[in-house]
Amino acid sequence: MRFADLLNFAWQVLRGSVSRTLLILLAMGIGVAAVVVVTALGEGARLYVANQFGSLGSNLVIVLPGRSETSGAMPGVLIGKTPRDLTLEDALALGRSHAIRRFAPLIIGAGDVRAGGRSRETPVLGSTSELMDIRHMEVAQGLFLPQGDPRHSQPVCVIGAKVASELFGSRTALGDWVRIGERRFRVIGILAAQGQSLGFNTDEIVIVPLAAAQALFNTESLFRILVEAKSREQIAAAKADVEEIVRLRHEGERDVTVITQDAVLATFDRILRALTLTVASIAAISLAVAGILIMNVMLIAVTQRRREIGLLKALGATGGQIRLAFFTEAMMLALGGAAAGLVVGELGRSLAVQLYPTIPFQAPWWALIAAPLTAIATAVLFTVAPARRAARLDPVQALSRR
Amino acid sequence: MIRLTGIARTFLVGGEEVHALKAVDLAIAHGEYLSIMGPSGSGKSTLLNIIGLLDRPDAGSYELDARNVTALSDDELARVRREKIGFVFQFFHLVPRLTAGQNIELPMVLAGIDPAERRTRLTRLLAEYGLEERAGHRPDQLSGGQCQRVAIARAMSMGPTVILADEPTGNLDRHTGQEVLSVLERVHHNGGTVVIVTHDPEIGARSHRRLRMLDGAVVADEKG
Ligand SMILES: Nc1ncnc2c1ncn2[C@@H]1O[C@H](COP(=O)(O)OP(=O)(O)O)[C@@H](O)[C@H]1O
Ligand SMILES: [Mg+2]
Repeated sequence: MRFADLLNFAWQVLRGSVSRTLLILLAMGIGVAAVVVVTALGEGARLYVANQFGSLGSNLVIVLPGRSETSGAMPGVLIGKTPRDLTLEDALALGRSHAIRRFAPLIIGAGDVRAGGRSRETPVLGSTSELMDIRHMEVAQGLFLPQGDPRHSQPVCVIGAKVASELFGSRTALGDWVRIGERRFRVIGILAAQGQSLGFNTDEIVIVPLAAAQALFNTESLFRILVEAKSREQIAAAKADVEEIVRLRHEGERDVTVITQDAVLATFDRILRALTLTVASIAAISLAVAGILIMNVMLIAVTQRRREIGLLKALGATGGQIRLAFFTEAMMLALGGAAAGLVVGELGRSLAVQLYPTIPFQAPWWALIAAPLTAIATAVLFTVAPARRAARLDPVQALSRR
Repeated sequence: MIRLTGIARTFLVGGEEVHALKAVDLAIAHGEYLSIMGPSGSGKSTLLNIIGLLDRPDAGSYELDARNVTALSDDELARVRREKIGFVFQFFHLVPRLTAGQNIELPMVLAGIDPAERRTRLTRLLAEYGLEERAGHRPDQLSGGQCQRVAIARAMSMGPTVILADEPTGNLDRHTGQEVLSVLERVHHNGGTVVIVTHDPEIGARSHRRLRMLDGAVVADEKG
C-alpha cells in the first residue's frame, strides 16, 4: 500500500466519523495546550524573578551584620561577645580586595520628609555615590550623590519620582529644599521612575549621603554593604575577600553574613524550574488520559468495523497493513491534536501576556517539543493493542455476521 | 488450476466437533462456470472460504495454479488472495464511507498499484459494469443490484484467477438477481472462472457444472 493511499484511507475514516475525531482532537489538544500554557507560566515566573534580581545589580555580593547560619559551636556566647556592628570602616577596608569593583555602605531608616506645606513618611537611604551604579539606578533630573569622603557629607539628597510629585506637585523639585527630621537637604537629583523591584520601590525613597543618615538616625552601624564583584567569575573571590577582611577587622570573628546574588538567584531558579517541571508533568497526565481515550475509541472502532476489517483481509490486506492503517489513523489524530494544542497554548500564552505584560511568559523549547512528542507517543502506544486485535481478526467470522 | 485433495474442516461448537467438510476432493479447471447447491449448513460457505484462502483446512492439500498453498503464511496467503481471488458476498460488503469508484479501487490500493494505472483500470471497469454514472456515489445511494455490480467490479479489479460468489443473489429481488447473474456470466464468457454458491435451482441450472453438497461432502457433480 502506498503512503499517500494510507494517509487518504485514514483521512476517509476520520472524516467519516466527525464527532469521534473532534472528541479525540479536543482531548489531545487540551493535553498539549495545558503543557504549553503551564510551562509558559512557570518559565515566565522564572524569567521574571531572574530579571528582578538582575535589576538589583549585577555580580552583586551583599554583606549583612550577624551570622545567619548556625555553624559549629557558639564561640560568641562562650567568649561572651555579642555580634559586632558592621561599620563604615569595615566597608572602606573592602577597597583592598582586587575582586571588588565597587561597594556602597547602606543605612536605611524611615523619615518624615517635608517640603512646603506637605509631608510624607518615606524610607530614607544613606549611602555613597557608588550606590547608583551598583543598583543600576537612573537619575531623571540633576545628579546623584556627589563623590567624596563618606565620613563627611553635604546637605543634599536625591528623591524618588513619586516622592517628588507628591511633595512638590507640579513645582520643580530640583534645587529646592526638603526637611527630614530636623535637617534640611537640597534636592540635587530626581530618580527615574523604575517601579517595584523585589518589594522595594525606588520611586518612593529619599537618598542622602551616608554621614547624614548616620546623624539622622543616630547610628554608626550599617544595614548592609552592597559589593559589586569585578566579574561573574570573581564573585566567589569577592565573597571570600569580604569574609576574610571583615574577620580580620573583627578580631577573627566571623560575624557577618555574605550572600551572593548568584546563589539566591540559583536557588530561586532551581525551585521555579522544579515547579514548572512538576506542573508540566501533571499537565502531561492529561495527555495520557487522551491516549487512553484513543485506545478506547480504537477498540470500539475494531468492533464496529469488524466487517470492514474482514473485508479488507478478503481483498488481500495483510495483518501488517491493517495495523498500519490503525497507526496512521492514530498518528493523524495525535498530530492534529498536537497542532491544535500548540495553537491553543500559544493563544493562552498571549492572553496571559495581555493580562500581565511585565511577566515574560514563554513556553520553554523543551516543552514545545516534549508536549507534541508525548501526544504522538501516547497515541501510538495506546493503539498497539487495538491494532493488534484488528490484525488478528478472523475474516470469515467478521464477514459472516451481518 | 484449483485442486483440493482430502480437504477437511472441523469446528468446535460448545465442546462438540462439527465436521463442516469431510475429505472433499475437487478439481476446477480454468474457465469453468460452477455452482454449488445444498441445504443450509452443508458446508458450502466453508468450502468457498477455503478455496478463497480465507480459511485453512484441518487436513488435505490445496493446489492453486500449480502451487501448493496449504502451508503458506498468513501474509503470503493475503498476497495470493489479492492476486488470484475475487470475492462476491451476499451482503455486498462495500465500505459505506467510500464511493463506488473508491470501493472498486480498494484491492488495487492494497496491492500498491500506482494511481495512474488504477485510474485506467477503474475507467475500464466502470464502463464494463455499467457504473460510469455511479462512480461518485456512496453505497447508501445505490440500489442492491448496483451495489452487487460494484462488488463484482471490485472482485475483478486485480484480474483474478477465480471469482467466488457466496449467494450473490440471496439478498436481491428476482429481477435484480437475474441482472447480477448475467454480469457474472459475462465474466465467464470473457474467460473467467466463476464459482457460485446458491439456493436458486434456476441459477444452478444455468451453470455448466453443478455440485451438490450434503453434510460436508460433495454428493453430486454433474456437468453439461
Ligand atoms: N466459524 C464457525 N464456527 C463454528 N461452526 C461453524 C463455523 N462456520 C461454519 N460452521 C458450521 O459448519 C457447518 C457448515 O457451515 P457453512 O459452511 O456455513 O454451511 P452453508 O454455507 O452450506 O450453509 C455448519 O454446521 C455451521 O454451523
Ligand atoms: Mg453459507
